[in-house]
Amino acid sequence: MDGSTLLTSIWLLPFLTGMLIVPVGRANHQLIKKISLTGSGFNLVLIIWLTLLFAARVSLAETGVDTRYTVLYFTLNVPWFSMLNIAYNIGVDGISVLMLLLTGIVIFCGVLASWELKEQAKEFFILLNVLVGGVYGVFVSFDLFTLFLFYEVAVLPMYLLIGIWGTGDKEYSAMKLTLMLVAGSALIFAGILAMYYESGIASFDILKLSRIRFPESLQVWGFPALFIGFGLLGGLFPFHTWSPDGHASAPTAVSMLHAGVLMKLGGYGCLRVAMYLMPEGAQMWVEFFLVLVTINIVYGAFGAIRQTDLKYITAYSSVSHCGLVLFGLLAMTYVGLKGAVLQMVSHGLMTALFFALIGMIYSRTRTRQIHEMGGLMKVMPFLSVAFVIAGLTGLGLPGLSGFVAEATIFIGSFANANPINRICTVLAVLSIVISAVYIIRSANFAINGPLNEKFNALSDATLVEKLPIAILVFLICGMGILPGWIINLVNSAIEPIVNNVTR
Amino acid sequence: MNSLLLPDLFILLQGFTVLGIDLFSRKREPVVTFQLTWSGLLFNFILLLCLPYDRTVVFFGTYQVSGLALLFKQIFVISAFFTVLLSRYYFTEKGNFRGPMRAMGEFYGIVLFCTFGMFTVVSATGLLTLFIGMELATIPLYVLSAFRKGDDLSAEASTKFIVMGALSTGILLFGYSFIYGAVGSLRFVNILAFATQYPLHPLLFLGLLFIFAAIGFKLTLFPFHMWAPDVYEGAPTPVTAFISVSSKATAIAFLIVLLYGPLAPLHPRLQYLILLLAGATMTVGNLGALKQKNLCRFMAYSSIAQAGYILLALAGQAEMGRASIIYYLLIYAAANYATFFIISIVSQKRTEEFASLRGLGKQSPTLAAILLLSMFSLAGIPPLAGFIGKFMLFASAAQEGYYFMVIFAALNSTVSLYYYLLLIKEAYILQPTAGPMVFEVSFVQQSSLAILTVFMILLGLVPMISTKILLIVQ
Repeated sequence: MDGSTLLTSIWLLPFLTGMLIVPVGRANHQLIKKISLTGSGFNLVLIIWLTLLFAARVSLAETGVDTRYTVLYFTLNVPWFSMLNIAYNIGVDGISVLMLLLTGIVIFCGVLASWELKEQAKEFFILLNVLVGGVYGVFVSFDLFTLFLFYEVAVLPMYLLIGIWGTGDKEYSAMKLTLMLVAGSALIFAGILAMYYESGIASFDILKLSRIRFPESLQVWGFPALFIGFGLLGGLFPFHTWSPDGHASAPTAVSMLHAGVLMKLGGYGCLRVAMYLMPEGAQMWVEFFLVLVTINIVYGAFGAIRQTDLKYITAYSSVSHCGLVLFGLLAMTYVGLKGAVLQMVSHGLMTALFFALIGMIYSRTRTRQIHEMGGLMKVMPFLSVAFVIAGLTGLGLPGLSGFVAEATIFIGSFANANPINRICTVLAVLSIVISAVYIIRSANFAINGPLNEKFNALSDATLVEKLPIAILVFLICGMGILPGWIINLVNSAIEPIVNNVTR
Repeated sequence: MNSLLLPDLFILLQGFTVLGIDLFSRKREPVVTFQLTWSGLLFNFILLLCLPYDRTVVFFGTYQVSGLALLFKQIFVISAFFTVLLSRYYFTEKGNFRGPMRAMGEFYGIVLFCTFGMFTVVSATGLLTLFIGMELATIPLYVLSAFRKGDDLSAEASTKFIVMGALSTGILLFGYSFIYGAVGSLRFVNILAFATQYPLHPLLFLGLLFIFAAIGFKLTLFPFHMWAPDVYEGAPTPVTAFISVSSKATAIAFLIVLLYGPLAPLHPRLQYLILLLAGATMTVGNLGALKQKNLCRFMAYSSIAQAGYILLALAGQAEMGRASIIYYLLIYAAANYATFFIISIVSQKRTEEFASLRGLGKQSPTLAAILLLSMFSLAGIPPLAGFIGKFMLFASAAQEGYYFMVIFAALNSTVSLYYYLLLIKEAYILQPTAGPMVFEVSFVQQSSLAILTVFMILLGLVPMISTKILLIVQ
């Protein structure tokens, strides 16, 4: 199988898995779950294969590559809707490969984490597969239209996933999340169409558009439209309000996928579309957005301190950590961008771990309030240890993935000599201290201390539950200790983007 | 005699035949007329597909058939076809909670004559033919919406419709008089020659303004949309579906015939008016739909908003605007008919309120899934056809450089997503209040829903149709 077929099968497979579930009987939960698990497992294998192929190709081509332009691998370009010159245009660079890998891991763990789902399992797994297919599609698309199409496919199933299987004020959260994200795509939509017509080449091809210098009159509104549009999904302040409600209400696998992968779509879009295609616009607006994102980081961390519900704590910490992704992007330096990509991966793994653990803990204690827990270390040592590891990743302990990413971002941002950059960096670094407060506080209340009498009879994780946790912990530690393999993967992809952004 | 005239002649003949059989058969059993109507329409559709699209032929100096006209005729025939299928089971004993209907032969006949009127609109070569076509397409609708004779709501709907329709006809003629006063002729050729010479002539503008107002009634443009919710609610569901698709398509066809034909020189100066009307219409439709509790009223406001989106593309100068409108009309027809089929099935046992949909997701997952797909298609969510359709509509406004209008329309479509999701919420999330309901879905309904679903998905993924439409329009 050649590379482009592999890419197509990667995004197509979840849809096929979803279709395969359709004829299965409603009561046959085991079969449905097995099909989903096989599908996502097989897809993960395909993605790992792709990564290896890609790594081999990159190391071959390392010398003498023109770093001015993005080089795509495994490309395929087939005309689709000729009315608007829309093409099915796929390919990958290092960033896409990494994101595919992250998605594959998170969804595999997500399916495992929702093994105990009882209600309407059929619809749940169909929708979950559709959502994942959309996510994969975004990461392989290099045509703005297809990218936008997959982006919407990834956003919409969320409404039903939260609305039907969620907890708490789920209808409100689902509606809020969907509407805010779709409002964001309205902005993206206008930006895309404007680029299409103003470019003069009537094309949605990202690579072709990246070589065009759009008029300033377009960039001055186009960049903020695209950045806010995508940034909305990346939790950009003050448009992040859907995130805590949405994550808190969503079922476990959906929270994992949403905070772990979907919020990365936002960062990815900001990088690939907003900054890459409208660099002059980015220069005009960078200071404004830098301030917003700094508020994001600090405010998210403070928000997490105030919360008592574990999911809300994690959701606010996600806002803060995803702010770091955007912060790294806005540094506009090579190191900063690299940090942003690393943070996407690190946060994806960490937050997936967090939400998986919270889901498992909640299914036992039936509460997520940290004050009602306590001493869980005694009854569920495995989950508790994993929880502490996830927390330590969040506060950036060296040796875990969070440190690698955050350090890179801060170094990259401080390297930009602009005084606003420096001031914002100093402020953003302070967020680590605040993170430590809420993480240690929640670990203290929930994990340590005297055991609540109610929880005496609770058991630790089952084997099916231990598997995803083990995978995620392993990867977090692996990335913390040996970040080199990831950095090698993305190096070649970041250089042309930086060149474009600082042209 | 040219083959291009065949579909028009055929549908006329078919109308008389159906009416005649109904008149002379003693049992007045609808089966024969039903079979004759749907098979005739299907045949007509195939006929339309086989005709050549690359030439324009004028008959007797008053009736012309072009590729564009044939495209619109396809839409009209499809719409009539599904209206007939929709009405077959709906009007039987168990078909809906309001009880059965007799005299179905007349119903089918009137639908056919109405469709012939629509054919005439797109084939006009002069304002006179255009007017006759418009009336022929509208007057049967008054009868159809009052078809449930004993029902007060139905009668109220029809009365409102007649009063409003008559008023709009008057306004239309008033507009005509200005144009005739300026040009001295009703023929398109003469009007075009005059308009090219004096593109700023005030009488032409005045005339066009009145025509816009008159068509605004049919197209439910703000501020002439007020009749729609009442009529949609009162009329029998198949008629509502017919009005929401065919009547709207006719009005759009009317505008396209005028604005890209004889009055094309005025079009560039009308863009702001069109954008203003489009923006106001979609906003009013969307805001109105937010508070609805009745499914048919809800569909009325939804279709008002859709009319706004469609009108947006009319601001485009290039062929893409027209092509995207036709493409979108097809997509809109598929989603609308699918929704009305579901509404009619649900109304077997329950009223046409939102709450009737509760528990649909658990009791009839297939129906609920189709409802989900049609709502998503109407809201413009990929990979359904509504997405690419709306994308093209907005793209033709963007082509003229109105990016902020695109943002406005896209945000409007976000608002619309809210109420489309409300329906999905009823079907999937809220717990049913009444006990389980078993709906009888007849073979006709099953197969129609299957066709429409395939349509909704394929139109969004297969590019051939849109490419072909663009080629024909060019």
